[in-house]
Amino acid sequence: MRASAAQKVDPAHATLWARHYPGHDMIGTRTFGFWLYMLTDAMVYAALFASLGVLSHVVNLAGGPSPSAFINPVYAYGETITLFLSVLIYGYSMVALKNGNHSGVIGSMFAAMLLGMVYLVIAGIDIREMFAQGIIPEASGFLSIFFTIIIYHALHIIVGVVWMLVMMIQVAREGFSANVVYRLINLRLFWHFQAVIWVFVFTFVYLQGMVV
Amino acid sequence: MEAAGAKETREDGSDIYTNVYLEVQVFIENKRYEMCAKMLLSLAALTLGGCSSDGLYLLKPEGLISHTFYHYFILDVVIMLFIIVPTTLLTIWAMWRYRKGGKGSYHPTWSHSSTIEIIVWGIPLVTVGILSYLSVKAIYDVNPYNPGVISKVQKANGGDPVEVDVIATDWRWLFIYPQQHIASVNELVVPVGVPVRFRLTSTSVMNDFLIPQLVGMIDVMPGMRTKQALVADKAGTYIGYSADYSGAGLSWMHFQTRAVRMAQFAQWVKSAQQSPQHLSYAGFDRFAKPYIAVGGDRQIFGSVQPGLFDHVIDEVMRGKVWPTPMAMTENMVNYMKKQRAEQKAGDY
Amino acid sequence: MLVHLQGPWTPVLGRLTLQQIPYENPILLGTFTFVAVLAIAILAATTYFGKWEYLWREWLTTVDHKKIGVMYCLLGLIMLFRGFIDALMIRTQQAIAVGHEAPGYMGAVHGYLTPFHLGQIFTAHGLIMVVFAATPLLVGIMNIIVPLQIGARDMAYPYLNALGLWLTTAGAALVMVSLFIGNFAHGGWYGFVPYFELPYSPGVGVDYWIWTFQLSAIGTSLGSINLIATIVKMRAPGMTWMRLPIFTWASLSTNLIALTSFPVLMVSLALLALDRYVGTHFYTAGMGGNLMLYSDLFWVWGHPEVYFLILPAFGMMSEIIPTFSEKPLFGYATMVIASFAIGGVSWGVWLHHFFTMAASPSVNSFYSVTTMLVGIPTGVKVFNWVFTMYRGRVRYELPMLWALLALFLLLVGGMTGMMNAFASSDYMWHNGLFVVAHFHMMVLVIAASVFGAVEYWFPKVFGFKLEQKWGKWFFWFMILGTGWTFVPMFLLGFAGMTRRLDYIPYMQWSPYLHVMLVGMVFYVLAVCFFVAHLYVSLRDRVSNRAGADAWGTGRSLEWMTHSPVPAYNYAFIPHINVLDEWAWRKENGLTELHAGDYEGIHMPKNTGIPLFLGMLFMGLGFALIWRIWWLALLCVALIVGLIILRSFDRDTDMTIPAHEVERVERGARDETPATARSAGMPGGAVTAHSALRPGTDGIGGGTTSTNPSWAPMDR
Ligand code: HEA
Ligand code: HEA
Ligand code: CUA
Ligand SMILES: [Cu+2]
Repeated sequence: MRASAAQKVDPAHATLWARHYPGHDMIGTRTFGFWLYMLTDAMVYAALFASLGVLSHVVNLAGGPSPSAFINPVYAYGETITLFLSVLIYGYSMVALKNGNHSGVIGSMFAAMLLGMVYLVIAGIDIREMFAQGIIPEASGFLSIFFTIIIYHALHIIVGVVWMLVMMIQVAREGFSANVVYRLINLRLFWHFQAVIWVFVFTFVYLQGMVV
Repeated sequence: MEAAGAKETREDGSDIYTNVYLEVQVFIENKRYEMCAKMLLSLAALTLGGCSSDGLYLLKPEGLISHTFYHYFILDVVIMLFIIVPTTLLTIWAMWRYRKGGKGSYHPTWSHSSTIEIIVWGIPLVTVGILSYLSVKAIYDVNPYNPGVISKVQKANGGDPVEVDVIATDWRWLFIYPQQHIASVNELVVPVGVPVRFRLTSTSVMNDFLIPQLVGMIDVMPGMRTKQALVADKAGTYIGYSADYSGAGLSWMHFQTRAVRMAQFAQWVKSAQQSPQHLSYAGFDRFAKPYIAVGGDRQIFGSVQPGLFDHVIDEVMRGKVWPTPMAMTENMVNYMKKQRAEQKAGDY
Repeated sequence: MLVHLQGPWTPVLGRLTLQQIPYENPILLGTFTFVAVLAIAILAATTYFGKWEYLWREWLTTVDHKKIGVMYCLLGLIMLFRGFIDALMIRTQQAIAVGHEAPGYMGAVHGYLTPFHLGQIFTAHGLIMVVFAATPLLVGIMNIIVPLQIGARDMAYPYLNALGLWLTTAGAALVMVSLFIGNFAHGGWYGFVPYFELPYSPGVGVDYWIWTFQLSAIGTSLGSINLIATIVKMRAPGMTWMRLPIFTWASLSTNLIALTSFPVLMVSLALLALDRYVGTHFYTAGMGGNLMLYSDLFWVWGHPEVYFLILPAFGMMSEIIPTFSEKPLFGYATMVIASFAIGGVSWGVWLHHFFTMAASPSVNSFYSVTTMLVGIPTGVKVFNWVFTMYRGRVRYELPMLWALLALFLLLVGGMTGMMNAFASSDYMWHNGLFVVAHFHMMVLVIAASVFGAVEYWFPKVFGFKLEQKWGKWFFWFMILGTGWTFVPMFLLGFAGMTRRLDYIPYMQWSPYLHVMLVGMVFYVLAVCFFVAHLYVSLRDRVSNRAGADAWGTGRSLEWMTHSPVPAYNYAFIPHINVLDEWAWRKENGLTELHAGDYEGIHMPKNTGIPLFLGMLFMGLGFALIWRIWWLALLCVALIVGLIILRSFDRDTDMTIPAHEVERVERGARDETPATARSAGMPGGAVTAHSALRPGTDGIGGGTTSTNPSWAPMDR
């Protein structure tokens, strides 16, 4: 801290160079960066949920329907179950990765991906039904943020599904190279993160909406 | 190595910083800095000579609120100068004394002193404490919704405040006097010594209501109602304008505030009520279309549809807009001609 | 086409029509001719000298953090120049259009700029200066210096680094395109709602503003991820947190701000975009929207943003002042704490940008107090710099002069900032020229630090120092310009004059407005001197050659490798023992840089993909602005495809063989004149001798044209 503290290191015996320095742990660095990315995405969600808070008053319904009138809990539960199941099964693919089992990774990832697709189908039906009833983002400030949050979340699921598809091909092609492994780990983070976010979406958008 | 080192390196012609060092020395010895300072000062005097303090409205408060602002403003500045000026002097002193070749002694490893650290955290901390106290007090004193200083006056003097509803359009000010059922465009008339309370809204975009010599700003927002209050100390005419960017007509969106004695105010109200112009919501709908008030465009309405102010807010909340034509001011002169042809004054 | 638009729309070209090209406007026509001629000249010159290959190999596809940093800085300088031209136009218009008798030209009632045109100018000025001039300059310098200061060979994600650069460039390019196709937003750099909603800003200007802003936001967030990961993960062995150079600390704190705040900006812009494109009601006055939400979201980013800009500037000052005071920074630990305190508090002050929005007095009080709190750590910084000079031996070379100018500007800007924070005063001059003058003092702190940092680190990057004569003229004329422009502006602030006026009704203000023109003349001269400065420096570069430790009193790690820095930064990774490692080594005579046999060095390979992605994002932005949906879809598809394609590329790295390293090291031209310079350390005999004796292939010889070259950048 002080210059005088510097003198305490004995120059005669100090190590000056890191010879044969192995460089940096590539996988650790990549995952760290992905954590940082997820922090930014969490901030996006934080801003969106804050907006939801601001736009959840009676005036923000602009005389339109209130959420309790149009939220369909069946779909929301369906989405919850498929997404959590998908995350669980993705976990199995990580176990397979630890065991170095190619087909295990690909197989469980395939199942996780299918479940992600089911989620998307349910969400799609849900949104279509609402649109059909005239419950559209243009109708009021509340509906604007309502749809923005659920669609933004669904976009993440689409990204996750495409990513899984790519990873299955890469595992098949090049096995467990460092590049593939860090991507699998990051995808795990990503996929878990979507489940965590869903908890918030479910609580603040669906449950709270139904109660109000 | 000290001075000896400097000489050593000076022999090495390629060394840049010793050259600079020399230059600084020469600069100081020749008193070139004095010359420079003199030149700068005279240039400054020359250029600022033309400026007068006439226009420095914030420094000439004429209302209770603006006086209060001014009081705290001076306090704030004085306290800050107590710390900024010594800091500046200290910096200059250190720069001078510890310049290479200066008198200051050189301690190449000195970089820590707990005493100094405590002082450098302590002084700002205390200052900020004092300023915070003053700031909070000032905020309550001039709180637009219920200014402490005006409440005090009212408690002492009693009497009813004058009420004014302000509607900002693109780009004019409409002042409605709901008690008197009159309205005035781009001209605000208020009695001296009596609290005036405003309710404000806007039709299309955000504006900011400001009369520098009487009262500070409050945002004027579509679909919303804000409040403001003032007391004028002295009869006179004061400028007022919108302080928030609201589009092409902003620069012309100014109004005159006439502070007049109570008797004159009553007279003005009476004469205004004689005006044949009536302002209904339908008329207002046309009035609120984008219009750049290049000519000042003052106007009086002798009667106003009751509840117009709240009606406008309701309409806006329901989604009413007064859209701006595309790139309306790309050619402003042409636009003004068109505008004049379309909107003949008084046609509401 | 999802919402009601004024004007035509076709599926093929969207809103784009021939009328959108402003060929009748002489100013724009002139600019266009100038830019076109310049572009043709540059392209022709590149072809004539056969430099395309070099440009492509060494710059456009590079992933080298130093070259990327240099390109960031170039971008920043060019945009600074553009912003300056904007400032000139604002000032001339405001000097002409005073009083209702002022003449009007070119379709304006007064002056020569219509509100529509002036609005675009101040909006572009503000946006460009903040996100396309200051930010790239700061990010560029961080990019170059941070890896060097922590003893890393590159950033954590070199590929991402290039992507950040090209995204920012794409945004800047789109701003320039708006000059000639369509128009830019005309309501202020931070946007207003509902003014920026479709009914009140029906043209494409706001769309340009949204997408350029958005691109730069994405670019900066990526950059911040990269810098944080680099600092956390890539430090050389032995570099503990308390041995981190202060500029690296500043970069860390500032990028933590960016990482957490830019996403909020993206949301605030995205919601506005949704309002404009699909007709949602986030910020509308009616239909259940909430227009105050925008102010909150924007300034939740906007305020941290200004500290994102100032903290690296503080870091630069903290590097320059010790070097030229020839002693360690005073109070290193408190300096670090202060940086993080500023960063932390910056999150709790945003409401001071709209004190006048009728929040309750208790809320305003809260934000007034938190805002003032920032004065404490900032004050600590100021005092610590002063005490760094205290008992030092201060040399007034150009970097130091700039750093000290920054310090004085900070005192003025800080004092006036504190005056803004005093809410009752802010009620009087919010949105006025007092505020404008306040923040110009602050942004000029940034400008001054950046110029100081450029002078300071230039020899490190290019191997020669900038000359001092014209540099000093530039310095002094920047001061004159600043005085003559902004002192009157403060006075006009007290006059109650508000910002963004294209016409000034009150004649009493005209003398001040005219005095400000004098300031602009000084500024114009300053820019000329700057050009001369660069030209003369380049011309005399051989005689201004600098050694590894260019200033002789450098303290941190970056002075420990050759100037210019080879592609791999350090042939041997240093092991860090103390804070200010290099100063310590000099004190103890440990200046030998050759640590034995060379080893092969693992480095990332060049790639053109970031550049292509940048172009595609620019295309996407353009398509969205003009609502050309097919083009937007095409760009998205190509972007996704390219990203996936790249993930299949296994050939992304390479190893520089040991003999190559040896060759470059031998050719390194930073042999300091035999005597070297005094290290400014006790026991002055210690020299900063650093390089190997040059071998047969001397300066500039022998190490050219390997593919790609690992040698320093300007060979
Ligand atoms: C980093 C930010 C930054 C910087 C550096 C500046 C610099 C300057 N600005 Fe800027 N300004 C803003 C950010 C900035 N501004 C913002 C955010 C706004 C608000 C916009 C809004 O209202 O929405 C604003 C608004 C603003 C206004 C207000 C208009 C109004 O509202 O009424 C004015 C008026 O004078 C002005 C003037 C100037 C001047 C004279 C400079 C001078 O200091 C310029 C000095 C610069 C130079 C002299 C250039 C030097 C250039 C080089 C050395 C490069 C040369 C390069 C090559 C040749 C390649 N600015
Ligand atoms: C780099 C940019 C930068 C920096 C560092 C700052 C720093 C500060 N700013 Fe500034 N500010 C801007 C850029 C910046 N600002 C911009 C761009 C805007 C307007 C945007 C727009 O509207 O377009 C703005 C607007 C702005 C406002 C809103 C005004 C309005 O719109 O009405 C306020 C209000 O509180 C404010 C306050 C402050 C304060 C208190 C600091 C403090 O951090 C200053 C702290 C520094 C010191 C105090 C000096 C050193 C300290 C000492 C010597 C110690 C002792 C002193 C004391 C204890 C008093 N700023
Ligand atoms: Cu701002 Cu309501
Ligand atoms: Cu701020």
